Amino acid sequence: MDAVHEVLGRSALVSLTATAIAVAIGVPAGTWLALAHRRGRGALATVVNTGMAVPTVVVGLVVALLLWRSGPLGELELIYTLRGMIIAQVLIAAPLITGITMAGLQALPPELPDQLRALGANRVQLVVRLWIEARVPLLAAAMAGFGHAVSEVGSATIVGGNIHGQTQVMTTSIVENVGKGDFDEALVYAGILLALAFTINAVLTSVQQRAAAWAQS
Amino acid sequence: MGAVLTLRDVRQTRGGRQVLAIDELDVPAGERLAVLGPNGAGKTTLLRLLAGLEAPAAGSVEIDGVPVHAASLAFRRQIGYATQRAGLLSATVIRNVELPLRWRGVDAPARRRAALAALERLNVAGLADRKALSLSGGEAQRVSLARAFALQPRLLLLDEPAAGLDAQARRAFLDDLEPALSDRATTVVHVSHHAGEALRLADRVLVLVDGGVRQLSDPATLVQRPIDATVARLIGYENVVSESGGRTTLAVWASDVRIGAGPLQAVVERVSLGPGRWDVVMTAHETVHAHLPLDQAPPHPGERVTVSFKRVTLIR
Repeated sequence: MDAVHEVLGRSALVSLTATAIAVAIGVPAGTWLALAHRRGRGALATVVNTGMAVPTVVVGLVVALLLWRSGPLGELELIYTLRGMIIAQVLIAAPLITGITMAGLQALPPELPDQLRALGANRVQLVVRLWIEARVPLLAAAMAGFGHAVSEVGSATIVGGNIHGQTQVMTTSIVENVGKGDFDEALVYAGILLALAFTINAVLTSVQQRAAAWAQS
Repeated sequence: MGAVLTLRDVRQTRGGRQVLAIDELDVPAGERLAVLGPNGAGKTTLLRLLAGLEAPAAGSVEIDGVPVHAASLAFRRQIGYATQRAGLLSATVIRNVELPLRWRGVDAPARRRAALAALERLNVAGLADRKALSLSGGEAQRVSLARAFALQPRLLLLDEPAAGLDAQARRAFLDDLEPALSDRATTVVHVSHHAGEALRLADRVLVLVDGGVRQLSDPATLVQRPIDATVARLIGYENVVSESGGRTTLAVWASDVRIGAGPLQAVVERVSLGPGRWDVVMTAHETVHAHLPLDQAPPHPGERVTVSFKRVTLIR
């Protein structure tokens, strides 16, 4: 059971860290895409939307090629490490968080940014207030990002290598146990993975619903 | 003291089309200027230029001699702007009113005092702890205005503040707004497409049509001497009719049309009950509207009548 705890802890660590970094990248990026009037915004939005649909195994392959010992970033020695897996998961979650943030901010009344500027908001005050107004979709973005990261198996296998005691996470454990024909063990991991996803999403959903109810009551 | 506005050779375009062209406009400190015009006349564009939200394509928009679009945030924070939609945020009413004061670094007790005073001024202090998004349209408009008033701006820009309110709510709203606007420490530019609102609240009225200034005068002059048929219709004349083969144009209030004796032959098209009156629509060489008192028996549709005008305003 210790091994299960260890794998569970590792999964949570990798995916929560990756989600936090992806939020730090995706929310500002989505905000810029929602508010900017510059040329090229539409093309970038298309890139983000495409990024949301890229198979995780492709992301894993690209990251592995970059981090491979003989690759351009090989000197960093990140292949088959948790940090390498986090990088891959950031690349998987960030487009999703960027896209949902952009859509959430674009769903606010279109005149709201100008209204806030007219009331004397500086740039930081404007963006913070827009995030508060769009807090429900922003929480949804974080939930979707975490869900995508914790459930993916492609990049975790390729970049992490499923090394016991080092880079094995819940999803790679399930694949390995199914491969060995140990369905009982695989089901235990699957149940725990589901419980982990459920618990974290339940907390975020509760916060989200309270935020929505508060705004409308 | 209110701000002084100076516009010179201002041009603004949207998608290559000119939407505003004002050669010269001066608004002295403390004046209440109403901007009246149909939809698409450029009224909101003018307010956005005055608020510094957009730069003119050509010309200058200055407040106290400072080009507003290039002015610092601290300078632009002397402007209060209540947009057409209330634009309230998902917070309590009091927090909505306090927020712009917090952005300006006003301390908490002073913020609370200023916000409550502004809500009181618009008769909505009782809503202070309500969630702003749960307010009715009229309540939200009042809170939106209170938010602008709380800033004690030197220039107050109001974009259709009574838009979306029913007749009764509009009257009550204007009753409260009028004394609130009487403070000469603030210059007020108030956009509306309702003539009654503009005439009631303004020292001068600027009539904008197709992005250009059609007439700029005090309310009494505007009503008595509208410069053309478009302005006459905008300020509410129900009848704008040609006489002498089109060489003269007359503006006539429907309440000044008399049925039963007169030189003009007409056929009654429609009779309906209006607020405290009969609304009669007739066809002579043009359509003529008449308002008759309720105690007078109205004519019947199809009936041939003669019509005279008790009082007319000569436009041309």
